[in-house]
Amino acid sequence: MAAALTQERVQPRETSTTKKPKSLLRSIVRNRVLLLMCLPAILFFVVFSYAPMPGAWIAFTNFNYRDGIFGSPFVGLRNFEFLIQSGQLWLLTKNTVLYNLAFIVLGNFLQIAIAIMLNEVRSKYFKKISQAVMFLPYFISVVLIGVIAFNLLNYDTGYVNALITQTGGDPIKIYSIAGAWPIIIILFQLWQSTGYGSIVYFAAIMGIDNSLFEAAAIDGASAWQRIRYVILPSLKPTFIILLLFSLGGIMNGNFGLFWNLVGNNAALFQTTDIIETSVYRMIISQNNFTSSTAVGLYQSLFGFALVMLANWIVRKINEDYALF
Amino acid sequence: MRKPLARVAAATLALGMSAATLAACGPAGDEAESGEPTEITMLVLGDKPTNGRLEAMLEELNPILTEQANATLDFFYVEWADWQTQYNTQLLSGDDNVDLITTATDWLFAWENAEKGAFLPLSEEMLQEYAPRTWEQVDAEGHWELTKLDDGQIYFIPEDNFTQWTNHGFFYRGDWATEAGFEDGTITKFEDFTTYFKWVKENKPKAYPWDVSLSIDAALTGYLQGHTDFQTIQGISAGNYFPFQTTEADPYTVTSWYMEGDELVEAAELAKEWNDIGVWREDALNYDGQTREQFFAGLSGADQHHAQTFIGTIVDNMNKKQPGSDPKFFYWGLENGNYFRDILTHGAMAVNATSANPEKALEVYDVLRNDEEAYKLLNFGIEGTDYVMTDDGKLGYPEGYDSSTDALGSNFWAGRMDEFEPDRVTDAPNKQEIYDQLDAGAKDYPYSTLIVNKDLIDPTLAAMGGVLSEYIPQLQYGKFEDPAAAVAEMRQKLMDAGYEDARESIQTDLDAWAETQG
Repeated sequence: MAAALTQERVQPRETSTTKKPKSLLRSIVRNRVLLLMCLPAILFFVVFSYAPMPGAWIAFTNFNYRDGIFGSPFVGLRNFEFLIQSGQLWLLTKNTVLYNLAFIVLGNFLQIAIAIMLNEVRSKYFKKISQAVMFLPYFISVVLIGVIAFNLLNYDTGYVNALITQTGGDPIKIYSIAGAWPIIIILFQLWQSTGYGSIVYFAAIMGIDNSLFEAAAIDGASAWQRIRYVILPSLKPTFIILLLFSLGGIMNGNFGLFWNLVGNNAALFQTTDIIETSVYRMIISQNNFTSSTAVGLYQSLFGFALVMLANWIVRKINEDYALF
Repeated sequence: MRKPLARVAAATLALGMSAATLAACGPAGDEAESGEPTEITMLVLGDKPTNGRLEAMLEELNPILTEQANATLDFFYVEWADWQTQYNTQLLSGDDNVDLITTATDWLFAWENAEKGAFLPLSEEMLQEYAPRTWEQVDAEGHWELTKLDDGQIYFIPEDNFTQWTNHGFFYRGDWATEAGFEDGTITKFEDFTTYFKWVKENKPKAYPWDVSLSIDAALTGYLQGHTDFQTIQGISAGNYFPFQTTEADPYTVTSWYMEGDELVEAAELAKEWNDIGVWREDALNYDGQTREQFFAGLSGADQHHAQTFIGTIVDNMNKKQPGSDPKFFYWGLENGNYFRDILTHGAMAVNATSANPEKALEVYDVLRNDEEAYKLLNFGIEGTDYVMTDDGKLGYPEGYDSSTDALGSNFWAGRMDEFEPDRVTDAPNKQEIYDQLDAGAKDYPYSTLIVNKDLIDPTLAAMGGVLSEYIPQLQYGKFEDPAAAVAEMRQKLMDAGYEDARESIQTDLDAWAETQG
């Protein structure tokens, strides 16, 4: 990843300093293979991210099919009033951001910890098997996770409540306790994503120059010191890049997970409703394209501002780690 | 759903591209008249059948359509998963690949979509020329009036010659009700279900008294309808809810049963009592199992849906799977006669505004609706393999036919005709008796021709829908410790969402409509 970034940063400079005419064409010809390799990604973003952008205009119209996206009457910010009128904007923003912060902080911490522990394990088979076992949940569909959760947690026949009643306790109405769900959702998210995420850090550890470890060994570093002074500092660039990416997505929720765990259970919305689930219900049950576009636009703008801010902060700290 | 905006726009783009490509390949309109048959695509609701029976049927139906209209028929399915979104997105996309669109004013957003320009306005001349039989039959009964917007144009063709009852209620077991102490096992009051449910809870430990999921306001609606004279104004929905009513006593004043009166609190308190008894699963809000199957398996004491389901599905299944269970139907408003005949636009057919062949589409529709041979193929399939006629003239099914895997799935719900519909062997034996009883007490929906301009109140309705979707399911399942306080809180939030503005706006439209009614 670092190599790719360097490539990107070097390339434009090279072309801009070359003053000869047709230099752009020449550089395209020279780099044709690399550019060709980029093409699918470029196409993907053009088709799915840039081409639909003008559609955001829907958010400012009283949309109807006959007049289309740009012919429908312009209503200014009226659709945004709904966001405030419904009283949900603050709640949704708060829930979305807090969940993501919890995922990012706890997720990265666990991923790094697990990557380091895997690295310290000497038994090859134990390492492979535990890696595979932690990796597997990533491939389980969130629909199944929703079903698993319901079978574990439901009141009448759930495994957890069966355990409680078997041991003489009173069953708990878990699906009515809003306060419990942030913990449940975070646990399921970590369970699903930690194994996968740790692979990236594990690969980064593998990539650390062996001479550093040898030098540390010669200096008599303990295992703990090796982690503290060699591994962790080497992971810093990876960590910062991953953090930046995840900060940019802080306004995006893991829709599938939330929807499958909570669904339409209004009793839990206070602590579990995020922008995605709210928008989804709005389209599903209210046929309301304008308001949902408005929410989508709000989410995108907020996310954009966050990416810029995060990048600016990183640039202040260490310019080399900034994305742009 | 990560980027709903991007998704919708991308879908629009993709559909637009494919439509353009297809249009380029298709035959030009003029040539089609005399040359190759035009393919007409009909949008229907339901899961696309994969058993090959639909294709086999089309092979027999298409020659008839080619002969009579020089056209062939194809289907486009909006499947049940997320059908509300799929349906509206499909119309939003302006896809000109679909010609005929199944719609309805009470459950398929017909007025909204007509207002938003998804449907082609149908001129009288056009209908007379290309769908003459349909025109005549609907015109004779004066039913075109039911399909016009305030611009005076016809936007869809009503399924106005087909008897059906879609008023909701409880299905329950007469055998259990008898044991619970009800005479003839017949329950006649909504509150009496408390006795029935208690009896089931105590005497049938394996069964839930009413295993229910997702039917999110039935327990409240059932009570409200039977204890008030509120009449719901169709077509003004806030999310899944219909929050605007009038009363029979005062039919020209817009009000809301969610806002006025003590009955909502009473209903919510009854629901709480039922929840405390354990009538449904504690986690009903998150449960999404097939509760009807539970009813058929004797594991639920009740089920909830409309009269048509009772007559067509429940009686037959219960008699086969729970012999002696004596299934019965308690419909909302039975106590006080506060229930309505079906509106005639519960099913309707519209022509896509962007259809390349609207005239052809009407010609095809006219054949499907009025030609008996074509009608039977479309609705019942091929005689002998999809259905058989019994000696006493009833429609039955061949040996080994399993409706769950062998269904034809043509789902033509926009122009069925009583005169072509035989009784079915699976119908309840007392079907006519049930119809007669329903008909004797029912009221006609008074506002079939009322059109409400929702442009100005759409954001308010959306906000109200948000509030209702938070409170109503919890009230329905008795999840609030203090229902009265929750109702008060909900009413305050609905006020904040702009209930009074919306009510006044609808009142203005109702006043204008009342004047035209004289």
